[in-house]
Amino acid sequence: MAKTQKTHVTMKVNGAEVEGLVEPRTLLVHFIRENLLLTGTHIGCETTHCGACTVDLDGMSVKSCTVFAVQAQGSEITTIEGVANADGTLSALQEGFRMMHGLQCGFCTPGMILRAQRLLQENPRPSEAEIRMGISGNICRCTGYQNIVRAIQYAADKINGVEFKEAAE
Amino acid sequence: MNDLTPTREQRTAALEGMGCKRKRVEDARFTQGRGNYVDDVKLPGMLHGDFVRSPHAHARVKSINSEEALKVPGVLAVITAETLKTVNLAWMPTLAGDVQMVLADGKVLFQNQEVAFVVATDRYAADDGINKVVVEYEPLPVVIDPFKAMDKDAPVLREDLAGKTSGAHGPRKHHNHIFEWTVGDKDLTDAAFRKAEVTIKEMISYHRTHPCPLETCQCVCSFDKIKGELTIWGTFQAPHVIRTVVALIAKLPEQKIHVISPDVGGGFGNKVGAYPGYICAAVASIVTGKPVKWVEDRIENLTATSFARDYHMTTEIAATREGKVTGLRVHVLADHGAFDACADPSKWPAGFFSASTASTPTRRRAVSPIVARSGSRRRPIASSAVWISWPRNSGWTRPSCG
Repeated sequence: MAKTQKTHVTMKVNGAEVEGLVEPRTLLVHFIRENLLLTGTHIGCETTHCGACTVDLDGMSVKSCTVFAVQAQGSEITTIEGVANADGTLSALQEGFRMMHGLQCGFCTPGMILRAQRLLQENPRPSEAEIRMGISGNICRCTGYQNIVRAIQYAADKINGVEFKEAAE
Repeated sequence: MNDLTPTREQRTAALEGMGCKRKRVEDARFTQGRGNYVDDVKLPGMLHGDFVRSPHAHARVKSINSEEALKVPGVLAVITAETLKTVNLAWMPTLAGDVQMVLADGKVLFQNQEVAFVVATDRYAADDGINKVVVEYEPLPVVIDPFKAMDKDAPVLREDLAGKTSGAHGPRKHHNHIFEWTVGDKDLTDAAFRKAEVTIKEMISYHRTHPCPLETCQCVCSFDKIKGELTIWGTFQAPHVIRTVVALIAKLPEQKIHVISPDVGGGFGNKVGAYPGYICAAVASIVTGKPVKWVEDRIENLTATSFARDYHMTTEIAATREGKVTGLRVHVLADHGAFDACADPSKWPAGFFSASTASTPTRRRAVSPIVARSGSRRRPIASSAVWISWPRNSGWTRPSCG
């Protein structure tokens, strides 16, 4: 078996130009984790079911376990490492997940936050039902979705300058 | 409320944790992608291992040919049970006092059982390698019904237990039988049923469940030949057990083994037991002198790691017309899979929950007999029965009350 020819790829990840040599079959998530060493993006299923590997690619949420790295040639990508505010403080969503206990083991969290960030850009004032539908491609096995929904509501209110009021427990 | 009533903030400060919300220290890392899970561990020169798995649920393994796999660029070794036998590692102990195959030794007992371990320079090369390993199987009859597993002429699954009349949890009375356990007072229960105004009998099935943590089972093993020390990073819920098991089978003293459980992406009992991947990665690291990583994919996790429950429960209630329960009989047939690896055998969850929950309104001593026995079949590594998720257990009691 001959060794596979590698392809040169370039893309912008979290604002920085990056490049690397990949096999045509290399998955984007492996390029992100193994080549770029950005290990915040997780692999849960490698079949697009769980959403742990969700990143933002040219303004869309994609599951990077079923995108080839060569397909991302020339694109702009945001991973969890690029979500915090420019001054290093937590973004509204990161803060929301922390304040509302929207995570337990933390494995789904990067994908959840990336998905929620895109959702809030598309729909800045989502209803609870819209949030639930919006994150339906992301699975959490520990926390349940109650607090994740609250975390996203918290972030939406903060971004919109509205005081967040927790629903009665 | 008066002036003496503390505010929520005052109460929080005074209680320091009890009854108030606390911010978790790890969340600042987790929300920024700074977790440290096993797959994030990368060591210089690290190799990757992947399994050739059985497509059959019960079959004899006639031959394993690794010749073509070893020609694949990046593939360094193919480990089989024959390789492991040279270092006495083909089998390993389970948490339930049973033994389990590390790699298929002569036969396979469930679909996707580990047959050979391919070690390569990266995970893609390891995957290429497993596709080139040729295994010849002779399919055998499978047992998929725990009741039929106890038939006189049912296929013999565990040939290694031939002639053994008892196991870690009691006597065996059939070639597919693991143990039987009984508690309670039979005479009092029989009397309660004789006197009962109402009796109800129902067959309740509690289906098999899989913990399915979002992070699959994985490890990195690194053997330092100079110090003679083995370091294992793993998705371990019970790191001390792993250290003991590794020490027992690798014949290393415990102080020479370092087990590190970094951030774990969910467990729910799935990550209590010891899996063949840990042993194979450790052996591969000892042999190659390099760190070896093993990462399961989702299908492997769902088909080959521990499951829970799979109970077939016959329940009988004796009661008065007013609804007061006066007696209870529960008979549980538990499917423990191909290898009995339960951290808590079915006698605990199936037996005790029925006794302690359903019997509370009546006299405890009148509740019996509760029998738990396990029929072995083609299922992977047994009923783990180690849920720490209480709602699952209360789910068990609901049908019997309803």
